[in-house]
Amino acid sequence: MNTKNVKTFGILFIISLLLMSLAAQCAGSAEPQVVEKVVTVEVEKEVEVEKIVTVEVEKEVEVEKIVTKEVEKEVMVGNFSSASRAVEEAKQYAGTTLNVVWEAGLQSQDPLTMGPQWEALTGIKINVIELSYNDIYSNQLQDHLTGGGSYDVITFSPLWLIDFVNAGVVEPLNPYIEKYMNPADLEDYLPVYGAEGYARLGDTWYGLPDDGDVFVLYYRKDLFEDPDNMAEFKAEYGYDLAPPKTWQEFDDIGNFFTNKYAPDLYGGAIQRLEGQVYSFWYGPFSGNGGQFFDPDTMEPLINSDVGVQTLTEMVNQNKWMPPGVEKWGFVEVLSAWMDGQLAMVITWPPIGRWSAGYGATVEQLAWVPSTKVAGKVGYVPPPGRPTLAGGFSLGISPDSKNKEAAYLFIQWMNSPEISLQRVMLPYALRDPFRLSHFESPLYASLWPDAPEYLETLKEGALKGQFELGIPGAREYAEAVDNAATAAMAGTDPQEALDTAAQRWADITERLGLEQQKENYRLWLEGPWNKPGPEVELP
Amino acid sequence: MEDGLELAPTVEGPYSKIKFSRKRLTPWLFVAPCLIIILLVTIFPTIYSLGLSFTRWEIALPDKPFIGLGNYIQLFQDSRFTHSILVTAIVVVVGVSVELALGFGLAQTLVAEMRGKRIIVAALLLPVMVMPVVVGYTWRLLWDAQYGPINQIIGWIIGRPFHYTWLAKPPTAIFAILVTEIWQWTPFMFLVFLSGLSTLDPELFEAADIDGASGWEKFYHLTIPLMRPILIVAVLIRGLDALKFFDIIFTLTGGGPGNSTETISFYIYQTGYQFFRLGYGAAASFVLLIALVIILTYLLKLFRATSE
Amino acid sequence: MSPRTRKMVFQILRYVVALTALVFFLFPIMWIILTAFKTGDEFLRSPPVWFPRTPTLRSFAHVIETGGLKTLKNSLIISTSATLLSLIVGSLAGYGLARYKVGGDNLPFFILSQRFMPPAAVIFPFLLVFKTLKWVDTYQALIVVYLTFNLPYAVWMMRGFFMEIPIEIEESALVDGCSPFGAFWRVALPLVTPGLVATGVFCFIFSWSEFFFAVTLTRTDAVTLSVQLANFFGKMMVMWGEVGAMSVMAMLPLFLMSFVVQRYLVRGLTMGAVK
Repeated sequence: MNTKNVKTFGILFIISLLLMSLAAQCAGSAEPQVVEKVVTVEVEKEVEVEKIVTVEVEKEVEVEKIVTKEVEKEVMVGNFSSASRAVEEAKQYAGTTLNVVWEAGLQSQDPLTMGPQWEALTGIKINVIELSYNDIYSNQLQDHLTGGGSYDVITFSPLWLIDFVNAGVVEPLNPYIEKYMNPADLEDYLPVYGAEGYARLGDTWYGLPDDGDVFVLYYRKDLFEDPDNMAEFKAEYGYDLAPPKTWQEFDDIGNFFTNKYAPDLYGGAIQRLEGQVYSFWYGPFSGNGGQFFDPDTMEPLINSDVGVQTLTEMVNQNKWMPPGVEKWGFVEVLSAWMDGQLAMVITWPPIGRWSAGYGATVEQLAWVPSTKVAGKVGYVPPPGRPTLAGGFSLGISPDSKNKEAAYLFIQWMNSPEISLQRVMLPYALRDPFRLSHFESPLYASLWPDAPEYLETLKEGALKGQFELGIPGAREYAEAVDNAATAAMAGTDPQEALDTAAQRWADITERLGLEQQKENYRLWLEGPWNKPGPEVELP
Repeated sequence: MEDGLELAPTVEGPYSKIKFSRKRLTPWLFVAPCLIIILLVTIFPTIYSLGLSFTRWEIALPDKPFIGLGNYIQLFQDSRFTHSILVTAIVVVVGVSVELALGFGLAQTLVAEMRGKRIIVAALLLPVMVMPVVVGYTWRLLWDAQYGPINQIIGWIIGRPFHYTWLAKPPTAIFAILVTEIWQWTPFMFLVFLSGLSTLDPELFEAADIDGASGWEKFYHLTIPLMRPILIVAVLIRGLDALKFFDIIFTLTGGGPGNSTETISFYIYQTGYQFFRLGYGAAASFVLLIALVIILTYLLKLFRATSE
Repeated sequence: MSPRTRKMVFQILRYVVALTALVFFLFPIMWIILTAFKTGDEFLRSPPVWFPRTPTLRSFAHVIETGGLKTLKNSLIISTSATLLSLIVGSLAGYGLARYKVGGDNLPFFILSQRFMPPAAVIFPFLLVFKTLKWVDTYQALIVVYLTFNLPYAVWMMRGFFMEIPIEIEESALVDGCSPFGAFWRVALPLVTPGLVATGVFCFIFSWSEFFFAVTLTRTDAVTLSVQLANFFGKMMVMWGEVGAMSVMAMLPLFLMSFVVQRYLVRGLTMGAVK
């Protein structure tokens, strides 16, 4: 028995020693890596002239007609399809596998559908790594900072761009674009998505814009056009019942419907859930003329009268919104809307497709309540300026061993013809982002109101406001988010925003006042970043 | 008890010489595998994090300079951090006490044989088996103003629709968090105490019966002292985990409204993992660690003093 | 009151307590299970829909189609390995600490302190280590991590259980010529079977539902159930049906396990009586 003990201990010891040697090995080689990896990418900002893409906009013309563009002919190598070019070039990499990060759930149905097609064409296998929204950001950053190599194709939101560029998570795409892409495709992006700060900084493209996320106001045409409602509304408020153009009108209409129909129907709902609510403050704040910082001193101005007014309006809207709206995210808004319990909602584009009943029978959408409002939905851009919240771009990782193949895959996915298929996938969460999508007769024929829907998306996007996208963007956003939830819980909006402003000042100080001032100045150059009621296009 | 087994090797026997020479080594052999694994796996990450906590490591800054105790000093000026300590303390003290009481009560109730005991015990354990993320989201739905059955049931009782948004106001949000936490972790206490009570020697209780001891006397003079080690361990383990309380907060309130329900772990998650302020997050973790060491040392001393 | 009626009243009271507890603890579980059979129209309704009108197995089918069985297998392998290792190493150490007072008071304390660290604080260096070992997306990475984080728990629990049993039996075994390891393995360990089982159950549950390390250290091959489950919750969707179905799939093995091992929880009584 004694020898048995010795044996047992011996085995345990040997295992432990093995572990120890392994760890020693790793500890030795692991330490130096991190520090080296922090790459500073210098971004040249000033040069507007050098841009290959100049979109000429005739100011007088209505927003819809911005579409007409002049392509500088000499830049064009020839008229070819970026998609077929990508396929041709990618064939030499047949047999490799690309690891593609994508948001989990519905979003990744897109690469899971398109991946096999790409594989059939090129022999390159697509391995989709699904991660939830917050984890995509953290995991991609972490993986790169610890040596990288897990992902070939990177996905990012505009809000993360600056962090990803500073940390070197995304590879500049210009050499690849020059080599493989039809330059006309770059001009096919709706100007706002091709703009500074979305996937591009200065002249450098860090990703291909791949999603057109903008808030739209959906309203119930049947309710708005009901003669009784029209007469009663006019009698009470003194003007005609129509989709709201100002926040005051939005408030009036909401009150009107709630007073008349609650609890069967409420005036409307907007996402108020922590982590989403801040987006609904940024746009209105800018639209009301609010400025995030004083550009000269970097003093936060979010607790100015405009900021407090915007937040107070939000809190007041809750009074006529359904009980519990403070905890509503996209899913709750969607459910109530589809069930016909709301007269208006302001939210992301997919709700418009689904409420028309488009594709609602597919397996992936089984969690979506069946629509009771098909054919009754009208679309207008929200009052003031809608926030361009969220959205994704596709990039490639500098750590990838298959950068060329990875690039060719995203070029293919993003090309006008393939991306049109993707934004039309019923269950996809990608929304139209190319001019050619908005002009597509195919898309316009998907459901009766589709042309109107496309028009609204485009109009909304073109007068949209980006979320503040300077270093620390996520922290600034969180401070506003906390202020909004606190105000909705009963804190005085002024007090809540004072706290947020103090935090903004702390963040700025921590990240360097002078640098942040410079970053903010550069950021303000983007046409959709400037505050004010109108977008001034260059 | 202190030197109980140390006496054993003095007994004459064929291995007495070996035993003598191994006298000091043998006990360590029991502990060695555990120590080696812990040291191997955690020593590098711990030292690495400690190093980070002395630097200004921010994703938004190109340089990661050494700033000494800068992060630690900043922490104590950070009202968000100090507030998170308060929330954590509430969760730990209230949550763990209620779990302890409920768990012990249930274990006492169910330790003796009764019909259907096995299925009842297995069923009572179900809450700990639900994934934390599901616990959070499900309870968020249960607490929901309109869609949640809790308000529906209250509505039935008071006879009119009841639509209170529990999670959107600080006091009720904390209450909801506590109920959820107690729901999930009472079964832990319950099973630990149940197994502890099952190991108690029934002869002791029979002897007490013969002496005419009442149920309360048996509980106070036999059960409690015998269960003391297990009670302490269960409270320690549960308390430690509650100090790292995170999942339920994350899904139920996201730390909101405002920052009113943020725990230390949630704040560390936000700074370290979401905002990639690795230095600051690491410093906060070490403050938590040091605080824990101090509290535990004190608590263990207290336990020892009362048990003697 | 005669002792007989007294006993009956007590018995009834016990059932009342058990029933109340069951209602409180099982209500949310019931809600999750019912969700698994609901359709898109029934997840968010005012007033809430309790029972699905047309129960469907669609959610289960969809979970399995999207790789649910693979993650179930991964979770089973990882959690079982981590639990067995934790029990072996943990009960050895727990015994050493309880009987020999190895390292005085400081050593148990040091071991316990390993449970202090918030995962968010050490995840980064952990990833560094596993990257270097090329262990990312493997079973062994998670097994080692879970083993390490279960150990303080396993050691302390087992130490508590060993301290609770009378020392005399082991002493007499040692006097009879049994080795220290023999005293542990043949005498002490069987006496604490209920404790061992309870500890094992929780080691398993901790490993089973751990999410943070799993999402960071896996990519495709070793993805665990908790990671896949979290993927049904998105910013723009909550697939409640799939969440319910997957939760049922995740609970079932644990429920069966705790049902089966209870035999050993009860066996402790008889073992304790043997002298």
